[in-house]
Amino acid sequence: MIAAPSQGLALARDEEPAAAARTRITVKGLVKRFNASGREFVAVDDVSFEVKQGEFVALLGPSGCGKSTILNMVAGLLPRSGGRILIDGDTVETGKVNPRVGYVFQRDTLFPWRTVEQNIGYGLEIAGLPKTERAGRVASAVEKAGLSGFGQSFPRMLSGGMRQRVALMRTLILEPEILLMDEPFGALDTHTKLEMHKTLLEIWERERQTVLFVTHDLGEALTLASRIILLSARPGRLKEDFDVAIPRPRDPVGVRETAEFGRLYSHIWHSLGEEFRRTRAD
Amino acid sequence: MSHSRTVILFWQLAILAVVLVVWQWGFEWSKALLPKAYVPKILDPYFIAKPSLIWQSFLRLGCFSDAAGFTACITGSDNNLWLATLVTLKNTWWGFLFGSASGIAAGLVLGRSDFLARVFGPYIVALNSIPRIALVPLVILIFGLGDLSKIATAWLVVFFVVFFNTFEGTRAVDRDQIAAARLLGASEFTVLRTVVIPSALAWVFASLLPAVSFALIGVIVGEFIGAERGLGKLIIEAEARANASEMMVAIFVMMFVGILLAIAVRSLQSYLLRWQPQFEH
Ligand SMILES: Nc1ncnc2c1ncn2[C@@H]1O[C@H](COP(=O)(O)OP(=O)(O)OP(=O)(O)O)[C@@H](O)[C@H]1O
Ligand SMILES: [Mg+2]
Repeated sequence: MIAAPSQGLALARDEEPAAAARTRITVKGLVKRFNASGREFVAVDDVSFEVKQGEFVALLGPSGCGKSTILNMVAGLLPRSGGRILIDGDTVETGKVNPRVGYVFQRDTLFPWRTVEQNIGYGLEIAGLPKTERAGRVASAVEKAGLSGFGQSFPRMLSGGMRQRVALMRTLILEPEILLMDEPFGALDTHTKLEMHKTLLEIWERERQTVLFVTHDLGEALTLASRIILLSARPGRLKEDFDVAIPRPRDPVGVRETAEFGRLYSHIWHSLGEEFRRTRAD
Repeated sequence: MSHSRTVILFWQLAILAVVLVVWQWGFEWSKALLPKAYVPKILDPYFIAKPSLIWQSFLRLGCFSDAAGFTACITGSDNNLWLATLVTLKNTWWGFLFGSASGIAAGLVLGRSDFLARVFGPYIVALNSIPRIALVPLVILIFGLGDLSKIATAWLVVFFVVFFNTFEGTRAVDRDQIAAARLLGASEFTVLRTVVIPSALAWVFASLLPAVSFALIGVIVGEFIGAERGLGKLIIEAEARANASEMMVAIFVMMFVGILLAIAVRSLQSYLLRWQPQFEH
């Protein structure tokens, strides 16, 4: 496959990618039905959106609205009940892994029997990269994640935030052009979360991967994303889709003081509030 | 509450000393002190020998007390203590190895395949409910009196224990970890090698420790029922001569062998599972 065009230079200080940027993810009329104790219910109902090269899109919605379900279908982990998903124009096949796509899980999925270095180097190792070359790349990834000195530690010796850094690096070291992230920081405390946001912003603002980031945390979506797709409560439907025009480079604390952050926050808050009321009314 | 190591060790040694003393002199003392009806028969050296006699039997069976020299004694008898121990150890080892290897392989295959698990499930449950000891005469009929029948008996005992644990361990592997591996580029085989096996290993080892004892039991029972050599055979021979001290020698050697095998498995376990908190160095 052709490498991603060098978007870094031209867009380094740019807010949004140029209008001509190519579409990387296309979701069209996506439907997912589940069978819950014999009764069929619709979890995702006719969702359509596109993600362009170099965009950071947050998929925001109340818990249980089908965010993970959508992301898993995009990743090819879950069969869809209807609709289409294309990545770079090719239909996503369930069970087939696309090497250009990286995925970070909601749950901790590190391999507890591997050290930090072995976890981060997993993808390179199974791809058959020679040991010496691997060691160099792993070492720089360990450093980039701020985990120097913990390379030989096993995951259980690390804090939740450190573990999530390892998980992030395990995916990023394979240099995916498209990153799918499912509430990767959902289990972390506020402080650690902000630090992770800082790390992720630094990486993304440098490398500009195409990101689809699932979260139910409004502040997180506004801090990180260039665009937010708002989903309704169950069944997940597209509710709103808007840009986040907060300039970059962003600082996870500083963004909260911008006017744009405040304006969008209260707007989405009311919009989400309706959804929460609907969920409870169910 | 935690007691210091020396206190623990003191009590352990004290208990050992009391047991040895009562065993050695208890019968004579109680005969001298108590009326005849109250003398505990269980202490009679005819039944349980006594430490000094056991030591002498050990020296004799082990070829240490033979005037003709160690080598002459060793080569002279075909079931001396050394040879018997070696034979039993060897058969236990191979039975354990084949049993656990095949148990692990079958557990992995059935654990990864719903289809095979459902096809073979009832057969395995049925076979497992046969008391293994009942099969020993059959095994000896098929494989003869030699070592092969002992290895087969140990295999029978070990296989199922290890199989069931491996199967459960394979079933318990975190699905998200498998998905993560696949998304990082792992093939089905790589997933098996790098995720399923390491993850199931804790379960496998939980069964290997009992399995090694079971292998020893299997071999000894096989030797009881029909054998030419081995520690079990040594016990049967001693029983024929009503020689309790020789039996005790064989029993103590078995204990020693059992401990050695358990230590070997344990150290392998704590190396391979060093990522788990209880095996942290
Ligand atoms: N395998 C499944 N079988 C049946 N129902 C499922 C299955 N997976 C998810 N669901 C249901 O589908 C709905 C959407 O689930 P999903 O995990 O996508 O929600 P989510 O938006 O990611 O929530 P959260 O923010 O809590 O992670 C939920 O009601 C859930 O119970
Ligand atoms: Mg989810």
